[in-house]
Amino acid sequence: MRYQATLTVNGIPYPVEVEATASLLRVVRDVIGLTGSKEGCDDSECGACMMLLDGRPVNSCSYLALQADGREITTVEGLAPGDGLAPLQQALLEAGGVQCGYCTPGMLISATALLSSNPRPSEDEVRVALAGNLCRCTGYTNIVSAVLRASEGHPAGTPG
Amino acid sequence: MATVEEPRAAEALFIRPDGKEKVTGLGRYTADLNLTGQAHAKLRYADHAHARITRVDVSKARALPGVLAVLTHEDVPDVKYGGMVQDRRLFAKDKVLWEGDVIAGVAALTAELAEQAVSLIDVEYERLEPVVDFAAAEGAPLVHEDWESDSGDDTMGRDGNRIGYSTIVKGDADAAMAEADVVVKGRYTTDCSQGVPIEPRAVIAEWHGDRVTVWSSTQVPYAARAGVATVLEIPESSVRIVVPLLGGGFGAKCDFHFEGHVAALARAARRPVKLVFSRREEFVAVDHRREGMVIELETGAKADGTIVAHRGRLVLDKGAYCGEGGFFAQMAAMHACGPYRMENIFVEASLNYSNTQPSSSIRAPTAPQTCWALEQQIDELAHALGLDPVELRRRTLIEEGAEGPTRQVFEKLGMKETLERAVEMIGYGRELPEDEAIGVACGWWPCFGAPSGAYVQLHSDGTGTIITGAQENGTGAVMAFPILVAEQLGMSPGDFSLLYQDTDAAPWDMGSCGSQTTFNSGRAAIAAAVEVREQLLDAAAAKLEVDREDVELVDGEARVKGAPETSVTIVDLVGEGGPFHGKGSGDVPEAPECDAEGCVGRLGMESFLAPQLITQAAHVKVDRETGVVRVLKVAAAHDSGVIVNPMGANGQVTGGVVMGIGQALTEGTQIDAEGRQRNPYLLDYKLTTAADAPEIEIAWVETPTANAGPKGSKGIGEPPCVATSGAIANAIRNVIGTPVRQLPMTPERVWTATREGNQ
Repeated sequence: MRYQATLTVNGIPYPVEVEATASLLRVVRDVIGLTGSKEGCDDSECGACMMLLDGRPVNSCSYLALQADGREITTVEGLAPGDGLAPLQQALLEAGGVQCGYCTPGMLISATALLSSNPRPSEDEVRVALAGNLCRCTGYTNIVSAVLRASEGHPAGTPG
Repeated sequence: MATVEEPRAAEALFIRPDGKEKVTGLGRYTADLNLTGQAHAKLRYADHAHARITRVDVSKARALPGVLAVLTHEDVPDVKYGGMVQDRRLFAKDKVLWEGDVIAGVAALTAELAEQAVSLIDVEYERLEPVVDFAAAEGAPLVHEDWESDSGDDTMGRDGNRIGYSTIVKGDADAAMAEADVVVKGRYTTDCSQGVPIEPRAVIAEWHGDRVTVWSSTQVPYAARAGVATVLEIPESSVRIVVPLLGGGFGAKCDFHFEGHVAALARAARRPVKLVFSRREEFVAVDHRREGMVIELETGAKADGTIVAHRGRLVLDKGAYCGEGGFFAQMAAMHACGPYRMENIFVEASLNYSNTQPSSSIRAPTAPQTCWALEQQIDELAHALGLDPVELRRRTLIEEGAEGPTRQVFEKLGMKETLERAVEMIGYGRELPEDEAIGVACGWWPCFGAPSGAYVQLHSDGTGTIITGAQENGTGAVMAFPILVAEQLGMSPGDFSLLYQDTDAAPWDMGSCGSQTTFNSGRAAIAAAVEVREQLLDAAAAKLEVDREDVELVDGEARVKGAPETSVTIVDLVGEGGPFHGKGSGDVPEAPECDAEGCVGRLGMESFLAPQLITQAAHVKVDRETGVVRVLKVAAAHDSGVIVNPMGANGQVTGGVVMGIGQALTEGTQIDAEGRQRNPYLLDYKLTTAADAPEIEIAWVETPTANAGPKGSKGIGEPPCVATSGAIANAIRNVIGTPVRQLPMTPERVWTATREGNQ
């Protein structure tokens, strides 16, 4: 049985027809065609699939697409303003927080959610906020630095 | 011999060329690609770890509407393949040898249909006793009954379930042991563990007439090309492997395998076919894990700490197939000796088949576990001698002029300097709360000399492209090639684009394994740039009407040395002449001389080329009531030669240390008596999270090294996870007063050791 729904992703409404069991991640990747959000485990354990749903981070692999009907969804593709990069994205590159990049979309979503609710987090707060996003490459050091660097009041131009 | 000529430039901001597509989510990994009309693949795995196949019936699967192809061993050439031993078929034929053995593959219109078809395949078996205890594999039922007819490397010492046997022999260890003032013995066991790249592997294949293009999340595209050609009996020129962005590998994606299945399915289905692994498959079906080991060590020393005798007996779990990990026995034997001066040695290592997942290279194969055991052994020796463990290491670590386990005489190296830097950074010797302590571990890892090739070409506007066979698994090693090339040409790194991960474009390369990308592929890129430099100098000399020896390339110009006003821009040169293009490989450094006459199972690891040297110190806190260990800080001091890209190098250390912490404390694959993995999920196989990862302080001991790579560099990627487990183990021991001799050192094991130590 397929159902009609409208998923608003990064400000664009997409009318879709989906199975009741389809995850938000599947529909955004396979139907809408935005592949920035990754599937790492399909079990809410790795965080690579994270999206913002009405501003709150969710593991989209474990969220039904129909539950997102009519709500505002933000994926990694929606973080950059125009052709540029969001401060978090720029900070992640400058701090060396990107290696293979597979966890990066989920990390950016988690960090965006953190900074919107807590613009000046401590290092420990950053680490706790990112604890649901597994990274196998970086050891997290440079990702945490990047989030601190992008946070409010951080002196520009100095490494975090 | 390459040596350092000048100090490296101050740390510069390095933004990797593939960074923007990664942070915007626009970059494509293999699973992100979809081809028009593609079908979806699923594999049917064995139902038992060891069984004879008596019947396979695919008729119901073939009859399911929407199923385009179902393949078994009957539908592909009967070819055995494998790294150092050719012991494997694409689809199991007579027996299944582990739970991930592939019996059949299905291509269907949707992944769900393919899954359904897989479940409709009837397989009947005669169950056989699985060989799960690899240490007792000799004398157990044969995993490979026809092992003698499998072709393979004759020097490995194959014998039944023993696929490899290597020894390191120096002097007379028995006689010297009898003369030692102090002898310590230890027996250590390790669980197998996993690479766990966050990207599960994906493969897509599409045929164009008789040629196939395979997009694959592999670390070794050229090995994948050779593998597809071998199993389908087609020429390598008919196979093109393209690697989109690769979501990590850590060795786990270091062998040919699933490209063959998908290519065969696509040919049969007459349309592109895509295979994407689930996380469970990424644990259970991949033929790459870190090997479990049993390590027995006996070390004898004089009262002053001089190690006079060292004996070791190691057994390694190879799992069901050889893959590319056939060299592990010798590698483990070298690591059982470590970077120490030892006068007499007898170490033997057996690599045994079992009916479990194949072991192959995971980040520094064999080293972290063996180092973990040896470093605890060294600490026990220090305690027995009444010496501080750091002091014992000061007295026994290798240095310039020292002899290695096979009498390799070391040239300049920074082993002892790494020790001093690590203990300084961690604050060794300071007062700590009674539930906290510091542990120190040392280790080493060789550089691997291998052929590689690259092309460099300049374009008419003065930009250029580097075409390399090298593979970028995320480390950033390939991303730094523009730095190496631009330096040769007086240009800027930003002037260059990169073409990589396409076997049709560039010469053969070993792949992103063995910490070899900068070492070998970087050397090739520089050699190609040097050819272009010669062309530019010729053109500039003619244009400026000066002797070419007087021309230099600086800041985008060719100009006369000492008279910079006489110049021509590189843009003008390429605009007027050319073409300017070069190819290069460079000379592969040779392995150092050694005396390994008494050793058997010699596979090239008996001497260590340009050794990378490591000391790590860990500060931990142990909850004695629960056995939970928290790592508070790790100090990592490395001699990886000259550091080409500090940001990238530091990222390798922080990542390797955190991977090492996981392997030390939480990462172990549990295998039941039937040979099945019990915890193939991230909830039960715990990686270290951001909240658990400690502060990591890094020091680079940049030592000019004989036979180093570009700019005096050595490898970097693998060593950071080598010494971490050992440092944590010694720190735990310093809290609870007794060693933990099982890896990973889970709360249960730490708790048990604490109780037993108190008895």
